[in-house]
Amino acid sequence: MVDHILRLKLALLGSAFRGAASAVRALLVLLLAGGVGTALIMLAHEVQVERADHRAALIIVASAIALGIVVAPLSAGLGSALEPRRFAAFPVPRGQLALGIMLAGVVGVPGALAITLGIAFEIAWADTDKAGLAILAGVIGAIVLVMASQYLVAVTAQLAVSSAAVRMMTAAARLTIALALGAAGLAVFLVQSGEDTEGLIEVASVVAATPLGFLWAAPDGVDAEIAWRLFGGAVAVAAMIAAWPWVVRRIVEAPQRIRSEPAIRGLGWFDLVPATASAAIAARSLLYWTRDARYRAVIIALPVAPALMMVALAVAGAPVPLLWLIPVPVFALFLGWFSHNDVAYDHSAMWMHVAAPLRGFSDRWGRVVPPLLIGTPLILLASPLAALWSEVPEVYPAVVGTGLGLLLTGLGVSSVSSALTPYPAARPGAGPWDQPPLLGAAAGWTQSFTLLAILAFMAPSLTLAVMGLMDEDPEMLEVAGWAGGATGFGMLVLGILIGGFVFRRRAPELLGLLMRT
Amino acid sequence: MKPAKPAKPVKPTTRRTDKPEAATPRPKKPAVSTSRAKKKPAPSPKAQRAPRTKPEPPPVVVEVTSLRKTYGSTVAVDDIDLTVRRGSMFGVVGPNGAGKTTTLSMITGLLRPDSGTVLVAGLDVWRDPIAAKRVTGVLPDRMRLFDRLTGAQLLYYCGMLHGLDRSTASSRTEDLGVALGIEGSLNRPVRDYSIGMVKKISLAAAMIHSPRVLVLDEPFESVDPVSTSQAIDLLQRYTASGGTVLLSSHNMALVERVCDSVAVIVDGSVLAVGTLDEVRGGRSLEERFVELAGGRVAVEGLEWLTTFSD
Repeated sequence: MVDHILRLKLALLGSAFRGAASAVRALLVLLLAGGVGTALIMLAHEVQVERADHRAALIIVASAIALGIVVAPLSAGLGSALEPRRFAAFPVPRGQLALGIMLAGVVGVPGALAITLGIAFEIAWADTDKAGLAILAGVIGAIVLVMASQYLVAVTAQLAVSSAAVRMMTAAARLTIALALGAAGLAVFLVQSGEDTEGLIEVASVVAATPLGFLWAAPDGVDAEIAWRLFGGAVAVAAMIAAWPWVVRRIVEAPQRIRSEPAIRGLGWFDLVPATASAAIAARSLLYWTRDARYRAVIIALPVAPALMMVALAVAGAPVPLLWLIPVPVFALFLGWFSHNDVAYDHSAMWMHVAAPLRGFSDRWGRVVPPLLIGTPLILLASPLAALWSEVPEVYPAVVGTGLGLLLTGLGVSSVSSALTPYPAARPGAGPWDQPPLLGAAAGWTQSFTLLAILAFMAPSLTLAVMGLMDEDPEMLEVAGWAGGATGFGMLVLGILIGGFVFRRRAPELLGLLMRT
Repeated sequence: MKPAKPAKPVKPTTRRTDKPEAATPRPKKPAVSTSRAKKKPAPSPKAQRAPRTKPEPPPVVVEVTSLRKTYGSTVAVDDIDLTVRRGSMFGVVGPNGAGKTTTLSMITGLLRPDSGTVLVAGLDVWRDPIAAKRVTGVLPDRMRLFDRLTGAQLLYYCGMLHGLDRSTASSRTEDLGVALGIEGSLNRPVRDYSIGMVKKISLAAAMIHSPRVLVLDEPFESVDPVSTSQAIDLLQRYTASGGTVLLSSHNMALVERVCDSVAVIVDGSVLAVGTLDEVRGGRSLEERFVELAGGRVAVEGLEWLTTFSD
């Protein structure tokens, strides 16, 4: 029976090459894995374990790659993973099933990589008096990886009760792998450039304290610590192997979980807001912002833009403290700008608003509430910190003012543009990174025009802020702050009024536009 | 809040602020007095079936005059006139692509006509949309709902959009849930509903503000027979108390069963309109419909289908 499961695993691997598209994908995965494996072995030959920074990099790289290997089976979607529950309908003896799945975990790309990692680890420590210990640690480490990955697949398969959840997990796994590879690459790069080795050593000592780096740091310590780490690893392997048959039995025999979402009592947000049309729209909108993957992706992505800008500018040589003035305005700008296509996210469900005796104002105002609720507190909280870290005296009013100004102006502009020129967006229920079926040129025009409009409206107060910054003139900075806030308030009110008017006039055409997508 | 039309002396149906102690005034609610639907049978629908025999016809509630819609060179709706009287259950039937959905969308204010007027309860849908939409309940075909909301949230949302107060919206949600047999699913997200359940929650959403006119596009498509009769029961009680229903359907047997007046639309034009008996002229509606829609096309050129290959 065990060999049946192994044969099944091989057949699954072979099937990855059937069909042109999947063959290409499988080849790419193989290339990536092969590249990683080769790089590991080559690096292992380069490592000089007598140097502290090399040892630190070794711990970090091994731990990062280990993390990537553990989540690797999830990155292909759960489809190809051998998951205990799939065998529930077959009369396979449970003990043999557990053994078969465990062995099958070694076969395949993650298993091969785990073994490669173990070998590379041994190569790194070869020719030292700790070579024997490194072999032990490498073997235990590889087994731990394979086992942990089995447990992870089994657990995730139980959690992935809907296709949306599966997509989320796949995306999360891929992201983890990318981050792990990035971290490993960064560590290698830092060691080679010889910069900031102390930071590296510090990070390595932290990683060594986590289960991730526990074993990979074993040969690094003194006698008692080595013994303790190896003993811990052995115990972990023993426990994981011993518990595995029990886990398999439990998963196969327990009833399957499908959507155990508890029934929602009451009306949620709707119970908390006043009983008016705009409040109800605000509550509905808030519910979508917090629950719909399309909105959530944006909330997650928003902080990335300012971070990237900061990194880019820092690399280019800009003075770092001053860069702290970037995050708040950039975040505010993009949060306000994001709503410029808000109605498109409703798709044809917008008919409810069109068929109801709804004032355009109510629709516009309701949609503005969630970004206001998310953005305002964040700007108020982050501004003092940003002002402090920027080391520019009395810059706080300018940061808060331009931040709020950009957010409110953005929402005002968005209120008009989402009633005037919506363009296709990902459909409701789509994954966070799914693209809409067709994106015309209009989309690009709307996107750039709205962004430019926001900046144009805010140009006076932004100019004031920059001037105040250059002249180190606290008064000018304060004026810039007030000007920004006032611009934002005015633009929001104006945008909602104009947007409401446009919405009421164009509601049927708007619906037609959304339905065509 | 009061529509300008004075033509309804019998039963004003627009009440927007029912008292919270709604138990006693419930019999006055024609549109949604529902929880009693099972105990007290509705007044026989037969009474509604033959309104034309009475000397004075009830007032006109929906009046469509030379309505027209073209897409490029295609004429989707070609100068349609329709007159729907109060208390009637008016069926619009026609083959696929005949312009039924286009016509109904223009009546409900979802699609702007190229020309023509639509009066609902005397209010011009395209001149005074807010007042007209207040008295209209809509169930469109193939449009999404805000399906992350639970059924209860969706109905409450719809009530709020129509200006109901909190307690009215909640009590009507409950009533409609019971009347349509979806009370057990109201706390689940609408995206988990089956197609039939979505139709039912849409019907409830169309009725929650007790409109004078219900415009329903394919309301019974993919709804099971039991739920269909439940919904028909509800609609018949609604018309019996002065409401008006304008619905479209492919299902001739169903239209024959529930509607008192019918319009046959083919290629954007009304080919026949009148009471059910007038339109079918002694035959079944389906026969008459197929005849009007161009009759059966003699099948030619498929001889190979009659010579079996083995």
